[in-house]
Amino acid sequence: MPFRLGWRGFRGAIDVLFLAPLTLYILGLTLWPVLSTMALSFQDRRSGSFPTLANYQAVVEHFEFWDALYNTLFISVVGLSLELCLGLVMALCLSVPFRGRGVARALMLIPLGVPTIVSAANMRYIFGTVGYLNETLHQLGLLEIPIDWTSGGARTLMAVVAADLWKVTPLVMLILLAGLESIPGELYEAAVTDGAGAWQRFRYVTLPLLKPAITAALIIRGIDAFRIFALPLTLVGRSTPVLSTYTYFEYVDYQNPYTSAASATILLVMILATTIAYLQIAGTEEVIS
Amino acid sequence: MTKTHQRKRLPAHRNPIQALLGLLLAWTVACPGLLVAAERTLTVTMRLDESEWRVMRAEILPRFEKECQCTVVPRDVPPEQLAQLLQAMARAGRMEIDVFAQDNMRLLELVSIGVVQDLSAYESRIAPQVSKVLLETGRIQGRLYFFPYRPNVQIAYYNAQRFERYGLSPPGTWEELLHVARVFKEKEGVGRVLFQAWGGAPTVTQVYEWITSAGGDPLVLTHPGTVKTFRFLQELWPYLSPDSRQAKWDTTNQFLAQESAYLAQNWPFGVRLLIQEYGKTAIKTYSGWAGPARKAHVIGGEVLGIPVGTPNVPLALDFLRFMQSKGIQELLTVRLGWPSLRTDAHGRVEAWMRPYFKAVTEALTHGIVRKNLPYWPEYEKLVNEAFVRTVVRGEAVEGTLHALQARLERVQGRY
Amino acid sequence: MRPLTYLAMSAMAAFLLIPVYLMVKISISVPGEVFTQHPTLLIHDVTLDHWRQIVTGGMLWPPLKKSLTVATATALLALALSAPAAYVIARMPRGWKYTTLLILFFTRMFPEVGIALPMAIRFIEWGLFDTNLGLTLAHLVRTLPITAWILVGSFEAIPREIEEAAGVDGAGHGRTLLRVILPLALPGLTVAALFAWLLSWEEFTFAVYLSLASRTLPLQVYYYVYQGNWFLTATYTTIITIPVLILTYALQRYLKAGTLAGAIK
Repeated sequence: MPFRLGWRGFRGAIDVLFLAPLTLYILGLTLWPVLSTMALSFQDRRSGSFPTLANYQAVVEHFEFWDALYNTLFISVVGLSLELCLGLVMALCLSVPFRGRGVARALMLIPLGVPTIVSAANMRYIFGTVGYLNETLHQLGLLEIPIDWTSGGARTLMAVVAADLWKVTPLVMLILLAGLESIPGELYEAAVTDGAGAWQRFRYVTLPLLKPAITAALIIRGIDAFRIFALPLTLVGRSTPVLSTYTYFEYVDYQNPYTSAASATILLVMILATTIAYLQIAGTEEVIS
Repeated sequence: MTKTHQRKRLPAHRNPIQALLGLLLAWTVACPGLLVAAERTLTVTMRLDESEWRVMRAEILPRFEKECQCTVVPRDVPPEQLAQLLQAMARAGRMEIDVFAQDNMRLLELVSIGVVQDLSAYESRIAPQVSKVLLETGRIQGRLYFFPYRPNVQIAYYNAQRFERYGLSPPGTWEELLHVARVFKEKEGVGRVLFQAWGGAPTVTQVYEWITSAGGDPLVLTHPGTVKTFRFLQELWPYLSPDSRQAKWDTTNQFLAQESAYLAQNWPFGVRLLIQEYGKTAIKTYSGWAGPARKAHVIGGEVLGIPVGTPNVPLALDFLRFMQSKGIQELLTVRLGWPSLRTDAHGRVEAWMRPYFKAVTEALTHGIVRKNLPYWPEYEKLVNEAFVRTVVRGEAVEGTLHALQARLERVQGRY
Repeated sequence: MRPLTYLAMSAMAAFLLIPVYLMVKISISVPGEVFTQHPTLLIHDVTLDHWRQIVTGGMLWPPLKKSLTVATATALLALALSAPAAYVIARMPRGWKYTTLLILFFTRMFPEVGIALPMAIRFIEWGLFDTNLGLTLAHLVRTLPITAWILVGSFEAIPREIEEAAGVDGAGHGRTLLRVILPLALPGLTVAALFAWLLSWEEFTFAVYLSLASRTLPLQVYYYVYQGNWFLTATYTTIITIPVLILTYALQRYLKAGTLAGAIK
């Protein structure tokens, strides 16, 4: 794009005036806080000197930070893969007409209509040691000794992933469904005349054409997976920190805004790096349209 | 974006959706109209359990309202966030809190940020019957900033039915505790003794108490008694309830109620909730077990203070005196089972509550008062780390504690 | 194939419905049915005690009022701030438009804990901490990109010719906007406002950083979760969820990938 002041149809002062409130807001209350978090993370707690790496040193020395980092990555990677697979299966099921499809689609919307904090609270009923999952397993005769789902370790991470799946899979499904419905039917007909089986149709028609939708879902969900906060905070608390909750505990429980800022900055860098790297590979236009 | 799609669909949904927008607008218009009439109000913050709040709101506060011809606005503020809130209000120049109740372990930070009034001038107004030991918890650097109003101590809750089933009796020593924990785990496959291992204040309070009862110095992580405590906790951990990692003061009640845990230490506020609301009459209490050296119970509880900048100081002082008065202290004992800070208050607790109250008074006789440390949050963080690393993850006790002691000394050196 | 689809769908339906069922069930269950080693899956004894406790106990109105006020203020301010900008963005050429929308999208990458932290510190100094206004300002951070996004879509849908025709008829810029564009954009504006309202109503992260004594409904839930009081938690969560479910169904036609990007969390 050639650089010039404004664009075709630019109306000068009026357009600037119209754009100003939103621009100023984003600069002032989104960009500025992010930058000041970064600045804070390089400031010494006691002497106020700048820049210093003392906060980062304190963070990496703290054993729970590494737990938080690992947990965040685990939840993101495992969660994203599972919700993509599950979302794709659901979208494929719902893309063919059958009786009751309307009801099924309406049901899919339920998790979207349940706030995150509410779904997290609900998951506590399910994953408690005396919870409904253990009780169900017990009544089915599968479980003698109750399982502790939320006291730490891989089991707890899987519980968080499962709880998150409930909330976000329908969203992934909707994005993929929109992608599926935009694939023209003629392509499938052509594939059938060429003698392609169901798997081949899926592999060579559906999947390539679904790529933009998959990219969109991956990016949108990937960012949120890194930032996951209310769910682990409510469901597992301090036994299993993720980067966001670690940042929160540093500030609220230990009253140290500086180390909190440092771990927030680390999280931000992780998100930016991953997203930009992915956009480099997959291209940007797909996310927008 | 999908142009035609939107143009086609939108008008069809215009009416119901616009009705909703109308509602939104109506709310905006209606809301500023809800102005509060100007009258004498006293805003008081506390952190109470829901069942305690009910008694406070229905029976205690109305008495004061009647006495002072004013309205009391109660607000729930957690102790770890009070300092932040007071600081915010002080900086903004609008102190909306007139009286606050605060955990007696978190007083120093309030004084150091300068948000509490020095009440030394009013010390003479405190009745001589108020316990001197408790009074001292409100004195910092020779000045009296806080008035005590509620002493507190943790007791042990146990599920009598489950204990009887296996022929066990409530443990009186660490050895017995270990035995009980082992038996439950062997019989039921899952640990049933709860330790508040959530982290933060609940964990540190409990560890502090145990270290003291082992004859250790909680502020010296390498002290033999401290090492002994962590060793014992490490040995005990495999037999503890897996819910321990989720257990803090509030959730402990839930685990006892669910019968996920059969034995746990906690503050007495759970009694009313467990027995009266949840109907768990199998749950009994006693004062708890002794450590290898002695019996020790951290004296917790709350004090009242007045923030700098409130315009209602005289009224606030009246409230402080009101809460310390014999009548109210007795009422708190009768209705909530709170021990009294006065030597002359002999409220008779309700009959059902008497055995529970006995545990509290018995535990209080072994009370220990923690020092007010300026570096308490950092201390808490280090003890928490010691706990997770040695007890939960099973790292070597001595090596870990030595490393952490070095860090603790660095922190102490700064103050 | 068919029976398999139905089987998968029924399993899915159960998976989706059970948590919501449990929430409602617990809010009307007697404690003995839930707090026992073997809680019952079906409803046996119904009680309205928990609902009564919340509604008559005086603990519902303050958080409800705060949530309503903040959500409504957020919705209206979001419109006021983003509608003019969205109108201009919608009229930009393709390249400019995509760049702008991409920048808006990028703001979503910032972790909210990182935005909320300096806000909490500054708001303390500015007297905005623990106030409705402060929380509204914070909620706009997450709503503005989304309302702008939705509104760009709806302004795009208004054909330029209508505008130009109005110009030919002699109507000035201002008049065209007020008389022609605004009525046509009203459905889009409404949808955007309702989305913004929803986002603020269910918001948790900023609320937990910026409020203390005056809690919103989501904070009230968190508070009861950590009291271990399942019954009051369930009752509050039911109260929060009802308007969200209603609005989600009312808005389902507008749930497209673009808006979904941030609208639903």
